[in-house]
Amino acid sequence: MAKVYNWQIGREMDYLYEGKRPEKQFAMVLDTNKCIACQTCTVACKTTWTPGRGQEYMYWNNVETKPYGYYPLGWDVNILDKLGVQEMDGPVYNGKTLFDAAPTGEILLGYLPEDIDYAHPNIGEDDSTGLMTQGAHLTLPHMQWMFYLPRICNHCTYPACLSACPRQSIYKRSEDGIVLLDQSRCRGYRECVKGCPYKKTYFNAQTRVSEKCIGCYPAVEGGRQTQCTITCIGKIRIQGFLNAPDKVNEDNPLDYLVHVRKLALPLYPQFGLEPNTYYIPPIHVPPPYLRQMFGWGVEQAIATYKTVAQDRKLLGALTLFGATPEISFYFRVDGDTVVGYDAKQAEIVRVPIKEPIVIRPVYDATHKAYRTNIT
Amino acid sequence: MRPQHIVIALAAILAWAGTALAQPPLTAVRVKGVGPITDPAAPIWKQSRPVNVAMLPQTVALPHNDRPAIRQLSVRAVHNGGWIAFLIEWSDPTLSDRIVLDNFGDQLAVELPIETKGPPPSPMMGNPGGRVNIMQWRAAFQHDIDKGPPTVRDLYPNAWADVYPDEILSASDARPYSGALGIENPISRGRASPVLDQMAEGWGTMTVKPDQHALGKGVWKDGMWRVVVTRPLVSDDINAPRLEPGLRTFVAFAVWDGGGREVGARKAWASWVSLVVGR
Repeated sequence: MAKVYNWQIGREMDYLYEGKRPEKQFAMVLDTNKCIACQTCTVACKTTWTPGRGQEYMYWNNVETKPYGYYPLGWDVNILDKLGVQEMDGPVYNGKTLFDAAPTGEILLGYLPEDIDYAHPNIGEDDSTGLMTQGAHLTLPHMQWMFYLPRICNHCTYPACLSACPRQSIYKRSEDGIVLLDQSRCRGYRECVKGCPYKKTYFNAQTRVSEKCIGCYPAVEGGRQTQCTITCIGKIRIQGFLNAPDKVNEDNPLDYLVHVRKLALPLYPQFGLEPNTYYIPPIHVPPPYLRQMFGWGVEQAIATYKTVAQDRKLLGALTLFGATPEISFYFRVDGDTVVGYDAKQAEIVRVPIKEPIVIRPVYDATHKAYRTNIT
Repeated sequence: MRPQHIVIALAAILAWAGTALAQPPLTAVRVKGVGPITDPAAPIWKQSRPVNVAMLPQTVALPHNDRPAIRQLSVRAVHNGGWIAFLIEWSDPTLSDRIVLDNFGDQLAVELPIETKGPPPSPMMGNPGGRVNIMQWRAAFQHDIDKGPPTVRDLYPNAWADVYPDEILSASDARPYSGALGIENPISRGRASPVLDQMAEGWGTMTVKPDQHALGKGVWKDGMWRVVVTRPLVSDDINAPRLEPGLRTFVAFAVWDGGGREVGARKAWASWVSLVVGR
């Protein structure tokens, strides 16, 4: 075991391999407040990458309802239960990571799901925590709640799947941090399926080896965002690259959202993998639940989100979501617009932060006609 | 080689020394015939005296297997001047040859040092510079050969899909959608032999060789596996041992109980057993 620094838990931790960060780190920010679980991302991913034989059950991207939805069944509560109750009472997490909690003879704490756990991808969909009593009205946070959690592979800085593979079939690309599973090298041991706490590696029973989300690397190499990002009709995602906290660039929209404003938080940071999809937490959900899921800083993120309408730069960064299929390496707020730039600082998109409002009079004098509201 | 590997390799060699002394040698007796020897029920096996090989838990390389299901193999060996063959028998009450996420297959491996002169390499899949030839028989491959490779519907009778890429695209366009099959990963399927001919020089280095010479056959009956693994005594493959009558070398074994979710490093293994190629 080597000592590596995991900024999400604010401390050094044990990992099987030395800590060497990639030149760029693939990352994504998802605004859970805007997701409606339409599954357009899921279908876009499915038709692009996993329509083949043996891939029927694979959802490299899925959207599940929390708290009662899971794919596979119980993935997060199962591993949380095995990890046991841990304290998370500050920016430094002193509880056990999955590597700290490795049983004797294992690389890390994990479990292999049963085949049947994948039989109900929509289990718990739209299920709320309970019923509203007669006459009650919602306040923030909501008394009864649910929210949607879209998930892809987190392309972790310290991937559990990679460390669990005894024959180094999984590797993390130095150029963009995307984690890939070599289809010619894998021998189907399923150690990665057992090791990944997010259950984002999948075993293909037709090819007898495992597969996983490839971060749409052919698109990313060409400066385009992933399929799940560019097809999102709710514009809840932005995909780009995230710098390490000691190399933050405020002009990078992901750095700005994650490091500078701390609006977007990692998924289950206590596992110790430094996952690289970041979530803007849902403001209507009670913080204790969210703190378990997104770590320390949930309350601050929610407070920041509530003031976003008055925050020009933050609003600008959020306006870039779904504004272009290309990767915005940099952004700048220019008057009433936000501008996205590619890796060479060339402008790729310019979007008004506030759509102009046009009021059309009821009587059109030119045509001598009354307009009626047909909506 | 990491320092921990050196310590482990030394420990393994010491373990080997202890085991090898206690273990009677396995003699591959000369039998009549030509060509590959693949029939586990052939009468020739009666000419060979079986050697019982004690199987050890794999607790050296991560992940471990503290309690392997199979603790003993019975091994016989013969050769016909062209091919050497091993008949390995063990008790396994459950047949495991259906591979899905939570089902693993029964497997057996026979290991030979590639360089037959001098001390043998680490019995645990060799070591850097110490190459080994590992022939691995898999129950799932045996199923593929005997009954045909399983379709999605064989594995999941209620599975249903609108359309697959290979139904509407040309073979070359559909290829990227077939994963490891499309790049001919030898682990996937479509094999003529149930035995993979491989080499390794340390943990994590197992490689299926471009030249496949190993053949075999496994039959499961009455709670027993009877598996034959055979290869030519001599071939033009530089990553295979040259076995000649009169040679004294070594052989080692590994076995996996699929029903016990044994796979990869989670196996039972045996250290080197002396192997004599009969004259």
